[in-house]
Amino acid sequence: MIRLRDVSLTHADGFVALRGLTLAAQPGEQIAIVGPSGAGKTSLLRLLGAAMRPTTGQLDVLDADPWSLSTADLRRLRARIGVAHQAPPLPARQRVVTAVLAGRLGRWPWWKSVASLAYPLDIAGAAAALAQLDLGERIFDRCDRLSGGQLQRVGVARVLYQQAQLLLADEPVSALDPALAQQTVRVLTADAAARGATLVASLHAVDLALACFPRVVGIRDGRIAFDRPAAKVDRALLRRLYASEGGQLPGLAEVPPAASAQRLLRPAVGGEAARADSCWR
Amino acid sequence: MFRFSRRLALKGALVCALAISVVPSATAAEPVLRVSAIPDEAPTELQRKFAPLGKYLEKELAMKVSFVPVSDYAAVVEALASDKLDLAWLGGFTFVQASIRTRGAATPLVQRAEDARFTSKFITADDNIKTLADTRGKVFAFGSPSSTSGHLMPRYFLIQGGINADKDFKNVAFSGAHDATVAFVAAGKADAGVLNASVWEKLVDQNKVDPKVRVIATTPPYFDYNWTVRGGLDPELVRKIAAAFLKLDPANPEHAEILALQRASRFIPTSKENYQGIEQAAKAAGLLK
Amino acid sequence: MKAPRDPAALARVGGLLLATVVLWPLAVIGEFRPWVLFEAQNLRVMGGFLGGFLPPASGGEFLAYLGQATIETLAMASAGIALAFVVAVPLAVATTQALSISRLGPGPGRRRGELLRAGLRILLVVLRGIPELVWALLFVRVLGLGPAAGVLALGLTYGGMLAKVYAEILESGDQRPARALLEAGGSRLQALCYGLLPGVAQELTSYTVYRWECAVRASVVMGFVGAGGLGQLMDQSMKMLNGGEAASILLTFLALVLAADALSAFFRRQLGEAGTAGHAAALGPLPLAILASLGGAVLASFAWLDLGLGALLSRAAAASIADFFASFWPLDLSAGWLWKVGQGALETLAISVLGTLLATVCALLLALPASGRHGALLEQATRFVLNALRSVPELVWATLMALAAGLGPFAGILALALHTSGVLGRLFAEALQNAPATPRDALLEAGTPAGVAFLYGSLPTVTPQLLAYALYRWEMNIRMAAILGFVGAGGLGQLLYVELSLFHQAQASTVIAAMLLLSVAVDAASASLRRRLG
Repeated sequence: MIRLRDVSLTHADGFVALRGLTLAAQPGEQIAIVGPSGAGKTSLLRLLGAAMRPTTGQLDVLDADPWSLSTADLRRLRARIGVAHQAPPLPARQRVVTAVLAGRLGRWPWWKSVASLAYPLDIAGAAAALAQLDLGERIFDRCDRLSGGQLQRVGVARVLYQQAQLLLADEPVSALDPALAQQTVRVLTADAAARGATLVASLHAVDLALACFPRVVGIRDGRIAFDRPAAKVDRALLRRLYASEGGQLPGLAEVPPAASAQRLLRPAVGGEAARADSCWR
Repeated sequence: MFRFSRRLALKGALVCALAISVVPSATAAEPVLRVSAIPDEAPTELQRKFAPLGKYLEKELAMKVSFVPVSDYAAVVEALASDKLDLAWLGGFTFVQASIRTRGAATPLVQRAEDARFTSKFITADDNIKTLADTRGKVFAFGSPSSTSGHLMPRYFLIQGGINADKDFKNVAFSGAHDATVAFVAAGKADAGVLNASVWEKLVDQNKVDPKVRVIATTPPYFDYNWTVRGGLDPELVRKIAAAFLKLDPANPEHAEILALQRASRFIPTSKENYQGIEQAAKAAGLLK
Repeated sequence: MKAPRDPAALARVGGLLLATVVLWPLAVIGEFRPWVLFEAQNLRVMGGFLGGFLPPASGGEFLAYLGQATIETLAMASAGIALAFVVAVPLAVATTQALSISRLGPGPGRRRGELLRAGLRILLVVLRGIPELVWALLFVRVLGLGPAAGVLALGLTYGGMLAKVYAEILESGDQRPARALLEAGGSRLQALCYGLLPGVAQELTSYTVYRWECAVRASVVMGFVGAGGLGQLMDQSMKMLNGGEAASILLTFLALVLAADALSAFFRRQLGEAGTAGHAAALGPLPLAILASLGGAVLASFAWLDLGLGALLSRAAAASIADFFASFWPLDLSAGWLWKVGQGALETLAISVLGTLLATVCALLLALPASGRHGALLEQATRFVLNALRSVPELVWATLMALAAGLGPFAGILALALHTSGVLGRLFAEALQNAPATPRDALLEAGTPAGVAFLYGSLPTVTPQLLAYALYRWEMNIRMAAILGFVGAGGLGQLLYVELSLFHQAQASTVIAAMLLLSVAVDAASASLRRRLG
């Protein structure tokens, strides 16, 4: 399913993001990735999403080496991978329904994609995905009318709608309050389990990772610090992982500001992000 | 501070520039006879045609003659009316316009013998067009809207033949000049067209006509071109100009060259009355109100 | 659960119906029939003419004409802009709200001041609303012969445009210093120099230089109505269907417009840097040298053209000009003529709308490679195509298209579409380059085909900007569409050309009035559409 052997990644500016990483996942497995900022979580997910090419090492995603495929095959492979972003890359003026339906563009024939711009071709599908995230009533709103938290959940809805075989999530709930964050992650894990899809999610909140995922991988300085079942992760292990951040364990109570999720959009008024700030400080 | 003064200086320079440009034109030099012609052919062709005639006139009149090229028929009329030209080669219709515009001051002096019985040729390159009636629903090219032989008289004779140019053609094009009309028709830009017989014969003689292009009809004869002087010109000079033209003799080889370029056998006197027919035709065709 | 219906569907269907209802008749009026381009006869005509392009004419005599016409064109543009500047400065100072003394208080004479300003603003609308080529056509009649008509025409239309924009720039800056000076009893000129100019001088200069670049393009076509320069040469070559000469002239156009572009960009960059270097004077030596050379160029232009504008100042000439313009009054408002002008106006509207629409679509298609999405090579190649498209004036495109599509409004539509594609393509490419890339990249990383990723990821973000550009262009194109008829591309232009040739001044002035009304109406429509985009 997924197999990384001795994979390294050096960015164009010379920064070494990953160093000799080895990791494997079976179909249907659910893995949380934790680690301090700059540890390489996002880089790892981008490698798995076939968005970046490893500098050295062997990479297999969905049983294929993406970088040995033809352009067309690579495109088909990518269509089977769904990514939920921390800052969902949605055009401000697009409507929520279109943004969600865009999840299946990789599989739709081009004429269907074009026709769907004129009239959304699968309103029911988009509505179902949004309903799971309590956003059903916002389906025909424009994205720039949504708060950062709502936007993150639209991004998750898009991945749900995509029905990918490999689900990747990069801090998908960072702008949500704890209850909503947990509910949203549960929706993701349940969806992956129901379809037997593999789920790899990087999470800032360690408690959420431990609570929702059977397997947790800790990353520091581009290397795997630990890789074990959630039950076997103890506080000492985590303290060592977060040593660079003073050993403080980030949890749901310290949700990072949602600014990043809103960067693309006009500032929204009165969203969950704002509430989270006021309630949890 | 400095910035403002520089800007003011710049403005000052502009004002000076305007002032300077104005000065030289105010100073008049030796007397010059300013001659022009309606641009019924390419301007370069007009200048080529005029060069020997200009030299001849300079000699006969003992004054400098300058040819002013113009690209617009109506501009010649306006220039004559505002005394910017002294002598101009006009078409019949442009003469009528000039006469009206100058309230009768413009006077026709001479015309070519051929101009008293002038005709226009209808041409086409389309095999399916055999008679004038076949041009209905086609793209038709006139010369300039102000042209007598390229627009007015053909339009008038078309009306008499039952064809209304405004309604019966698919599209009407104004090529601007007689030789351009031939180019339009030869290239198929227009399906049929009309031009004056004199230019047509010249182009045929010079082998400049595409063999596909052929004549389908010829108009009845009418008065056309003349040389006209503006009102208020010295009568003595006017008399000398007319005399110079009338003196041109085909037997004289030097004169023969001038006459050949003008496509004239000789020049004859003419008068306003000759153009009343044109004026009536223009009114009938709706070109003169 | 039953899926909800898209609430926007009804509005979209309505919009589509409305567009069809509006566009369909326009397409019929504009004789929009793309397939005629592929009719055997038109292909043959165009092929024959293009075949004549090679080799471009390079005879010594012709090149001498060409060189002289090029200099004449440049001189016409420079002299025209100088005249426009002289016209614009007093009008701008008089009309701008920023320098209103009577508004203080409000003081005495407020009503009169406002009336005067309103009157002058209407004058500006008239100056701008009548296309420069129509002015040129009129001035050719009055002044006859040569570039003086072109210079005056440029001076008036561009004077109107400059005055409007100058006034707007003056109003956009910080108005407090000027207000303080006025309140302290300063004169309008003092308030301008000490209160307003320091803030906006650079923007004013930059806009003026940009307008000069436009004037070069405009003066290229002045010759089509007999005002000298390259246009006159082009008109003759096109009428005689002399492909070799046309090719040489087109190449000269291209070089001239590109050079003017580059020069204007260079000047504006230099002026943009001016004043930041901390010289004792407000301008550094280089910008100063530039301004000096501009001044020199203007002087040289007037000298070269030998306009004889002085003759205009004589009483007899003034009387004859007044006489000429008086002959345009009263307008012919008989029902029959109004009907004909109405038809021409509809045709002109159709040409402008369809031409702009077609250009918007083509520009979008060209902007994709030009924004560098498909590699640097394709980017450079498309950019060259865009530059070539926009450096050929609409009027020249119209003469070419009259060959390719036959005479009539469709040639006008194509001509507008070709030129405007070049202009819009460049603007669109810039907009695309500046648009955020992440939404599109995310879609690409989810296996979306590139074209679809563009439609879902980039287009929604840039659409309002692209439409605003297209609407601005429509305002220009309505003026252009009005004159394409001069070369046989339908609309009001052909009507005007024929009526003026026949000295039917009353009828001609109805046509000019229709042009003015049409351009004012389109300005208003475009402004209201742009507001809705926001």
